[in-house]
Formats: sequence, structure tokens, C-alpha cells
Amino acid sequence: MSTLILIDQPPYGGWTGREALDMAFSLAAFDQPVSLLFCGAGVNWLRKGQEPGQVRQKSVEKNLSAATIFGVEALLADSDDCNRYGLEAAQLLSGVELVRADAQLFAGYSHTAFAG
Amino acid sequence: MQDSSPLSFTIVITGAPYSCQAPQSALSFAQAALRAGHRIDRVFLYGDGVHLASALASPPSDEPHWPREWSAFLNEHDIPGVACIASALRRGLVDEGEQKRFELPASNLLPPFTIAGLGEWVEGRMMSSRTVYFHGSD
Amino acid sequence: MTKIQTLHILNKSPEHPRFARCLSMASPDDAILLIENGVLGLASAAISTSGQLLALAPDMAARGLDDGSTSFETIDYDGMVDLTTRAQQVVSW
Repeated sequence: MSTLILIDQPPYGGWTGREALDMAFSLAAFDQPVSLLFCGAGVNWLRKGQEPGQVRQKSVEKNLSAATIFGVEALLADSDDCNRYGLEAAQLLSGVELVRADAQLFAGYSHTAFAG
Repeated sequence: MQDSSPLSFTIVITGAPYSCQAPQSALSFAQAALRAGHRIDRVFLYGDGVHLASALASPPSDEPHWPREWSAFLNEHDIPGVACIASALRRGLVDEGEQKRFELPASNLLPPFTIAGLGEWVEGRMMSSRTVYFHGSD
Repeated sequence: MTKIQTLHILNKSPEHPRFARCLSMASPDDAILLIENGVLGLASAAISTSGQLLALAPDMAARGLDDGSTSFETIDYDGMVDLTTRAQQVVSW
């Protein structure tokens, strides 16, 4: 059974996205197949060059770059939502796969969950 | 016509009491699941949901006390209630062990809730036939 | 009893971005259960989705929504449990 964890909340203004990442890493640590899907405002997690030092938070860029090393199968992003936020492929973190977040994509996973 | 074969559930609550309806919807659902003859393997509190395990919540006396109602339900049916340790520590929810470890002035975890890692959620998902999430509505 | 592919539990108000996304993601074999603020979808403009729509009666009653005014099936918590057992997958939005 493969799990899709959805992140539709933008970074830094809330904790739900970080908690979704923890869920994905936790599944991967237990050898459970998992992928992350960024959609809606959640695609802003994937923008290169995040420097949250002045808001005293940790950047998630490194965590996301290491996601596949830790066993997360794929980092998926909804292509329409990336367009909506002006995210061209070159501005995305490496390893992100653009997809259409639709019923067909969902059908490929046996579990789908948000962190909150 | 109900499906007659009993199933097992893991219930995940990510919304806080008195901020949203999640804990109360989840309790009504859990009660209905037991009425139908199903089993609840565990209840996992994540994110803001950990506030449900606070022993210090003191709502006005004419309002339901959701932490105590959940606590009584878990005790009565011998269901494990687990608050995610990372979510709990960040939000100031600690048991006696964590109180000692971090040299805190008090502990406030309402029994029978315990504190443990996300592994409990992973394990719950694997053992239960269904995992149902109750989120905040913001 | 008919099987459901995915049961979508939708507790967000119609203004929330997840509301529209949930409706657009549902397949014809899916069911969408409106609970909590989600039931306000019954009071707003016509909902369009390919899945089967249901609403939780206690949440409708709390908000003064009469189940006689809707063509959707309304259920209680027992019915909600039954739905989760008939669905292959349950997604909470």
C-alpha cells in the first residue's frame, strides 16, 4: 500500500506543512511507500532560495532535498498551482515532478492524508 | 443493511478542542463505531489535536469537557490514546517523564493518554482496517 | 450494499480552497460526506461533482439547515461509520 501525503498550506506561516513532512519521513523510516504532493498554496514550499533566518525558522529546502534519500518515493507538485504562483520549472527545488493533481493521480495510492 | 463483518479503526485527531469540532465529531464517530460492533485500535493526537490530552483544560461548567469525555471513553473501552511527542512538547503538553527530562515545573497529560512518536501512527495505520482523520476546519 | 471507491469526508466551508478541490477530485464511484462547516455547501450555490453527495444531519441541524430542503442523502454518525466500512479508502479534507 502506497501513501500520498498532501501539503496544501504555504510554508512559514503555519506548522501543518512541517507536520506533513514529518508524517512522510516517519512512513519512509518504517519502509512504508510514501510520496508527497504539493498543491494549492503548498507549492510555495518548493521555491528555491528560501532564507527564513530573519523569521527565525529553519529552512525546509534541505529536508526536501534529502527526502528521496530518506526513502520518500517522489516529490510531486500540481503544475497548474505552480503556474498560479509563478513557479517555473527552473525555480523549483531539484527532484520535483510536475503532475496534474486529479482523481487519476489519487487512484494510484491506497492511502491519502493531510496533516491537518 | 449493515456490513456484518466487524472492522478495526485508528482515529487521528489533528484539531484542538474549543478551536474546532474535530474532537467532538471524532467522539461521536468512535461511539457509533463501537455501537456497530467495530473495534478501535487506537486514537492518535497530532498537531493541535494534542490539546485534547490536557489535564488543565477548564471550560465553563455548562459546556462539555471534551478532554474528560474522551478520557472517560478511552478508559471505559480500554482504548489506547496517544499524543504525538513532537507535537505535544512544542505545545507544552508533557507527562511526568518529559517533565523530569526537561526539568519543567509541572506535567499536564490527562490519563489514559500517553506520549509517543509518530511510529504509533504508522503502526495504527498498518494494523487497522480503516484510519479516519478529524481535522480542524480553518 | 454498494461499494464506494473513496469516501471523502469534507469538513471545510465552501469558501475554503479544499472544498472545491475535494469536489473536483471525486470520481463517479466515490462518495462525499459533508460534515461540520462542510454542510454549509448545501446552503450555497449549486455543488457540482461526479461523486455521490451526502451530509451529516447533526451538523445540518446545528446550523439550522433543514434536511427537507435538500435532495442529498442525510445520515447520522451510525451512517457515517457504515460509509467508512463500505469505502475502500477514506480521505479527510
